[in-house]
Amino acid sequence: MAGAQDEKTAATKAPALPTYWGSEPVLAALLSLLAVVFFLAVTGLSRLYHAQQESLGQRWFSRGVDDLNAQRYDRALAEFRAALRYSRDDYSYQLNLAQALIGIKRPAEAHAYLINLWERQPENGLVNLALARIAAQQGETEQALRYYHNAIYSTWPNDQETSRREARVELIEFLLRLNAKTQAQAELIALAANTGEDAAQQARIGDLFMRALDFEHALAAYRVSLRANQRNAAALAGAGAAAFEIGDYPMAYHYLQEAVSANPKDSGSADRLQTTELVLQMDPFQRQISAAQRNRLVVRAFATAGERLKSCGVGGAAASSQGNLSDGWTKMKPRISERELQRDPDLAEAAMDVVFNIERQSTAICGAATGPDLALLLIAKQHEGN
Amino acid sequence: MSLHSTIPNHEQPAEGTASWHERSPKALLQLMFREDRFFLVLSVFIGVFSGLAVVCFRFAIDWSRIYLLGSGVTLTPTRLILAPTLAGLVIAALVMKVFPLARGSGVNQTKAALYIYNGYIPLRTGIGKFITAALAIGSGHSLGPEDPSLQIGASLASALGRRMNLSRDRMRLIAPVGAAAGLAAAFNAPISAVLFVIEEVIGRWTAGILGSVVLSAVSSVVVMRWFLGSEPLFRIPAVEMARPSELLAYSVLGVVGGLASVLFSAGITALRPRCKALPRWTQYFQPALAGLLIGLIAVLGAPQVMGAGYEYIDEAMHGRFTWQFLAILAGLKIVATLLSFVSGTPGGMFAPTLFIGAMLGAAVGGAQHALLPHLNQSPGTYALVGMGVLFAGFLRAPMTSVFMVLEVSGNYSIILPVLVANTFAYLISRSLQPIPIFDVLTRQDGLELPSMEEQREEDILRVEDAMRPVAGPVLGPEDTVDHALREAETAGAEGVLVRLKPSGWSSVTKQELREMADAEEGGIALSSLLGDRRIPYVHPDHPLETALRYVDRWPLVPVVSRANFGKLEGVVSQRDVLERYREFGEG
Repeated sequence: MAGAQDEKTAATKAPALPTYWGSEPVLAALLSLLAVVFFLAVTGLSRLYHAQQESLGQRWFSRGVDDLNAQRYDRALAEFRAALRYSRDDYSYQLNLAQALIGIKRPAEAHAYLINLWERQPENGLVNLALARIAAQQGETEQALRYYHNAIYSTWPNDQETSRREARVELIEFLLRLNAKTQAQAELIALAANTGEDAAQQARIGDLFMRALDFEHALAAYRVSLRANQRNAAALAGAGAAAFEIGDYPMAYHYLQEAVSANPKDSGSADRLQTTELVLQMDPFQRQISAAQRNRLVVRAFATAGERLKSCGVGGAAASSQGNLSDGWTKMKPRISERELQRDPDLAEAAMDVVFNIERQSTAICGAATGPDLALLLIAKQHEGN
Repeated sequence: MSLHSTIPNHEQPAEGTASWHERSPKALLQLMFREDRFFLVLSVFIGVFSGLAVVCFRFAIDWSRIYLLGSGVTLTPTRLILAPTLAGLVIAALVMKVFPLARGSGVNQTKAALYIYNGYIPLRTGIGKFITAALAIGSGHSLGPEDPSLQIGASLASALGRRMNLSRDRMRLIAPVGAAAGLAAAFNAPISAVLFVIEEVIGRWTAGILGSVVLSAVSSVVVMRWFLGSEPLFRIPAVEMARPSELLAYSVLGVVGGLASVLFSAGITALRPRCKALPRWTQYFQPALAGLLIGLIAVLGAPQVMGAGYEYIDEAMHGRFTWQFLAILAGLKIVATLLSFVSGTPGGMFAPTLFIGAMLGAAVGGAQHALLPHLNQSPGTYALVGMGVLFAGFLRAPMTSVFMVLEVSGNYSIILPVLVANTFAYLISRSLQPIPIFDVLTRQDGLELPSMEEQREEDILRVEDAMRPVAGPVLGPEDTVDHALREAETAGAEGVLVRLKPSGWSSVTKQELREMADAEEGGIALSSLLGDRRIPYVHPDHPLETALRYVDRWPLVPVVSRANFGKLEGVVSQRDVLERYREFGEG
């Protein structure tokens, strides 16, 4: 402080300014002039500074985007943080940082950034979608639904329609994971209506309808897809599966045959085709077959059920149930011949009831049916549904 | 009715400077008026120049960081070690050889300018502070830009004031005006800056001071925002208090913050004199050694402690770190700041205080969330409250601490947690560390500046502590001299008090009454004889020193009620006043 004292003494010795300087307006004018000069000088410096800051921010941001796209989230995170040093308020820097944080599985931190961004632009689709994903990850269903819906109706930077559609698809996936099939179906109907006739998109919608167990709409979507591309194996397989689930086996047979022919490696469709063929071959309730043919099919179904009964011999309560079925089957067996069936048309119905019962009980006790047994079950379902 | 109006004209206190004595009262009044007005205009210019200087200071800090440490966030170990160490050597040489007054934070130097040096701060000190603090903060020393900005503003203001040939009273005030401008621009928070300067530097509120300080702070912030934008220091996440029970959690934060403040203060109090006492040649190496140790802390995994650290406060608010790491960061920042500050490296303590507070707050928030998950507060809220807590506990500026958080967050809903936590921190800090850190520093520098906290806490003697009931007669204006004389003789009093109309008081001694009676004025009403002999009166709540101004000229000074000036509460004499002071002095 001794130094200060010396300088203070020096200051007190400084000569006073001439009196004309004391004039208030002159002083104010001089100070204003000085302020303008300094202001201009600092403006020049400021331009240099901001240009450098912007350039550094952009450089780090570009690196961050590259790393984010390459899923190198750690590096992307550091680069976005560096970019934010130079433009702390930049929306896209913050958004990308949040996405890197989501990528690196730090949702809480990402959420804090995203909430800030959301407050600035509540209509931003990217931010709403990111927030929806975080809420979905954290099991906050209501929040997730709110943000998904926001995202669907938000504004998007590029290709608004596609982005909104993708957001809705993500919402449907979320609903399907929650097993909220009715809500998912409602969203799917809206999605299908807004998608147009794009083959791939309609096929995807068909798949989603299938997962939502809305087979009618699924079939419709696949058919729209097939209108644009008749050889689309996935759509053919989907249409076949949808028709199969609806119980329209002739249509299923048509699509599945096409699907297997378009993609012979599609084992699912091949299996389903085989079952469909069996259904079509074994169904005694088909209208276009003769009485003799129907009787033959009943006799065959009865025999198949008998085989299933024998192969499914188990003990305990199951045995008791099987015993009853077995007794019923054994009791009826002497009457089940083509001649008897021709003589007594009501016998066919009774025989098929026993067959269906045996197949259903056996499936419940011995596990999923395959081959002819499965076909019989499907015929039962269709017949009883009718 | 003001007390001033009760003082006769010839009792007006004289102004202090010799040059003022030489002027006629009219010229004096004109000059005062002109200077007052011009001082306000000058305050705006001070704000503009300080704002410009602080903007350049920010540029300088950022540029030195980019060129010394690099532009990214992942820094190489070589730079982390070399930058603060080598910068420390350069800074020490500059401080020792060129800018000896640039050491330390700058707040005390500004106070010293106000109370000791008649507002004088050499411009060279401001320039030195600019260069050395920019180098120090940019190279990673754990210091902040706010206190240096405050001093840069004060030195600019002082230089301007000297050029304007201001009176001594104005010169004394000009440094705090510049200080407010510098701090406001550095903080982007004009209210906090004004409050801090009033609360910690000037220590009193008057319309004149407040007007100048506010004008300079506002104009500097306008300039700063023009060049650097209006975004706040931190991006504040959504802040709210869902349940009153959360205040308990904030109380815990207040207690922890209070203890941390004490630890931080005690560290500086203990280490700074020891470092200063080392041989002079070691002072060339102390900043470099501090820089080396800080670099090592950074290399070992905590580069966040380097520099002002605002970006990390921001990240802590957004939940980047685990609560355990946040607690470690708070501890390491205390160590790093101690190293930088006690080594004499120029730079401020505001930013480190905010950093420590934010980390501690977020750590306490995180720990509480781990223990009590139903307290679903964001780490940002705790970090924000934590900043205020350290500000209240360490810097001991309770009002500023509250307004600073409100101003920075722009959210009024955080007021209750801030008030609760800051109060706890302030009380704990005051009880465990009775002398505030700024007073510790001034005393270590061999100065005795008035302590604002002591002033606030000071017991004030009031007139009511010394007054006594009226013993002698109190007469009305219509009473005659003979009646008054009789009353005085009956009561055995040396004089009587006379209530005048429409208001006011007078007194007359028994001797004077006798002389009047002898002059055949015994039948005349007292009011017609004493009408122009009004005496001052005081109110019971006036400071006792107010009464002291009058009791040597009037044997009895009436103490009247504020509600009814005609109602006498008591009287006070010179003996009463001195007796009370003596008792007070004896404790």
